[in-house]
Amino acid sequence: MSDEIVADGLALRTGRRARAMAQMEAFDLDVLVLGRQANVRYVTGAPQLWVAGTRPFAPICVVVRATGEIHLNSSWDEGMPEEIDHDHLYGLAWNPMTLIEVLKDIDGAATALRVGTDALSPTFGQLLPIAFPNAELVDGELAMRTARRIKTAEEVVALRGATRVAEAGLAAALSELSPGITEQSLTGAMLEAMAAGGVSTSATQDGAWVTSREHRWRQGPRDRLVADGDLVAFASGALADGYVGEVGRTVPVGDVSGADELFGRSNALWDKLIAACKPGAPASDLLAAYEVAGEPLPPMPVAHGLGLGFDPPVVSPDLPETSTEAHLDPGTVLAVTGYVWAQGVGAVYQRDAVLITNDGAEVLTTSPSFSGQSSVGIG
Amino acid sequence: MTTFLEPGAALLDIPDLPDRGRMYREIGARLRAAMKEKGVDALVLLGNGNVVYATGASWPLLDAGLSHVERPVAIVLSDDEHPHLYMPFREGSAWESELPADHVHGPLYLEFDEGVAHFAKVLADLVPAGATVAVDEMTGAMRNATGLFPGGPPSDAALVVGPAKLVKTSDQISCIRKACRITEEAVVEVQKSLVPGVRQIDLSAQFVRRAFELGATANMLEAIWQVMPNSKAEGTWTTTGDLALPLLTTERALAKGDVLWTDVSITYEGYCSDFGRTWVVGQEPTARQQDQYAKWREILGAVLRVIKAGATSGDLARAAIAANGGRKPWLPHFYLGHSIGTNAAEMPMIGTDLGQEFDDNFVFPAGMVLVLEPVIWEDGTGGYRSEEIVVITEDGFTPITDYPYAPYGAGI
Repeated sequence: MSDEIVADGLALRTGRRARAMAQMEAFDLDVLVLGRQANVRYVTGAPQLWVAGTRPFAPICVVVRATGEIHLNSSWDEGMPEEIDHDHLYGLAWNPMTLIEVLKDIDGAATALRVGTDALSPTFGQLLPIAFPNAELVDGELAMRTARRIKTAEEVVALRGATRVAEAGLAAALSELSPGITEQSLTGAMLEAMAAGGVSTSATQDGAWVTSREHRWRQGPRDRLVADGDLVAFASGALADGYVGEVGRTVPVGDVSGADELFGRSNALWDKLIAACKPGAPASDLLAAYEVAGEPLPPMPVAHGLGLGFDPPVVSPDLPETSTEAHLDPGTVLAVTGYVWAQGVGAVYQRDAVLITNDGAEVLTTSPSFSGQSSVGIG
Repeated sequence: MTTFLEPGAALLDIPDLPDRGRMYREIGARLRAAMKEKGVDALVLLGNGNVVYATGASWPLLDAGLSHVERPVAIVLSDDEHPHLYMPFREGSAWESELPADHVHGPLYLEFDEGVAHFAKVLADLVPAGATVAVDEMTGAMRNATGLFPGGPPSDAALVVGPAKLVKTSDQISCIRKACRITEEAVVEVQKSLVPGVRQIDLSAQFVRRAFELGATANMLEAIWQVMPNSKAEGTWTTTGDLALPLLTTERALAKGDVLWTDVSITYEGYCSDFGRTWVVGQEPTARQQDQYAKWREILGAVLRVIKAGATSGDLARAAIAANGGRKPWLPHFYLGHSIGTNAAEMPMIGTDLGQEFDDNFVFPAGMVLVLEPVIWEDGTGGYRSEEIVVITEDGFTPITDYPYAPYGAGI
């Protein structure tokens, strides 16, 4: 960030746009109507206001394949790439029909035969045919997901930057860890540091929590005080220049009985997970890594793609077939998650960003692990 | 310091902190009544704000780009007092709920064919064939699945949830007020650090830390500290020719005399706050700037005089325009005011392109919460914009925000 809001660099945005256009071709989409923030950023390169959580579907951006023209729902031109000129901006609206009237007049709308949308509400499902009278409305998210799966070189640079921001947040929170501090204060320290470093937009707000000694997965309010003997987990996530950087670490407070063994298990699992990050390998190898390490699968994705949000693949025990069919092609960037737990001790959670390369994998995160610092040889 | 927001009726009985169990039961009853009224047997909710509303679950929300995949889903049946919640387990996920254990399930991955195939079985087990279903979003994989909704294409859940959300229970109002109190307390310290040389982003950093320390569940909005231009002509280009708002925060260092329009929002128990004030950096407002504030107060006062149950959005818009000499005291891409709840801006939006007829037909019920945010502008002053939140009562309103207007208002 600087003193000005600027568009994503030319190489970054044209590289992404070329990938999106190629998928419009492959999926035979004449027009893409996008409502999801990550998709809109992918094709436009224009920074947008960050708001937490899902948004209802609305036609925020329209891409016409025949002309390559991009129309964007924005009432101003700050941070707008030069190729999206004033004639291609349409203002914020609260009446869906206002937007439909704009879409109707877009060059190519009347003749489009296949229009893909990245999500849809029943209301816009009824209204969009007014703007695209000759078109079949189809799924456009799969095309966007396919485009986004493999990162361009410029995207990897952006992801490295986001990772550094997340790691700065982690370091700041770690520096304040001491008995008596609240979970909320640690989360506050993490978010404060990222904002002070120039990024006030977080990808996640899970922050810090005392892992449970009694339950594999703790659920409950974040209002506890950190005490000696706790294993405290940190999940730092930043959205920098639109890209998600994530890192996770766990640190013992004082002397935690049983921690050495648990960190040892975590390290052993970690080696298996990283070994599974091979170009061309099925993503389900990451699920298998837990089995090989003798650890139960966590009830959450063990890996997900990083990019402008959650990118494919999503490797979850709930999606075994999807994970088997997905392959780790070079240019995929993953957030890989290790999680081990022991009754009476707590959990060790670790998350790292990993880039799949032509001949292996590069771990993008460089934050030290507790066990790596002080327990050499364990595991 | 008290504001001039004197209530038009006796203060509502709003608990200091919400009774979560009571809130859950009352909202459930209201939502199921709305379903019956609209003839909807089952609601499938994917939108974060709708799931929070229907289930009472509250969690630290993810960025928009992440939240489509790893998101809670709710299925609400008109004849079951408890909704079903399908909750992703993020590492250490902090969430609370009043749901019985047999209504809390693992996540649904509705972005993927495999996840939707599982969802189809879940739905078939819960919802009888031929039942009418409403959804708030259809993912691509849901659209591609055949036979997912055997009773026919689902209707829009917004038509059920929107009207149900309109009237707040006293516990919901308590949540919003608590979110506002956390926000205001955090802002007190931010405002103290407002000196020439401080960067916009430093204000954001300070705010987010303090808000979390004070108990915020999530930050909802990238904090806005917009430096207003000297004139509309010198400002950022817009489609309307009017002012741009909100413009994003940067590392820009603030200078003496900068006029800031601020806007921040957090959640408490899933309910949003909304805070907005105008500040001047490093000096007292000039007489012309004070006049802007005085005019803003006059407009807000005129609006508050017509607010009560039975008034319409149109009534408020007309009162505001009359007090502003016949011009709309809000930006053309925004509104004079809006409601608030599990989303930072909920219906009704007042004075938008939805049109005069829509506004005139939108009758306020008692218990509706309204964020009022008139905007005043005169070139050379930086204008004035603040936000106040009131609850509509039978006779008038009850304010739930009371942050001072300093540095404006001294001597008024």
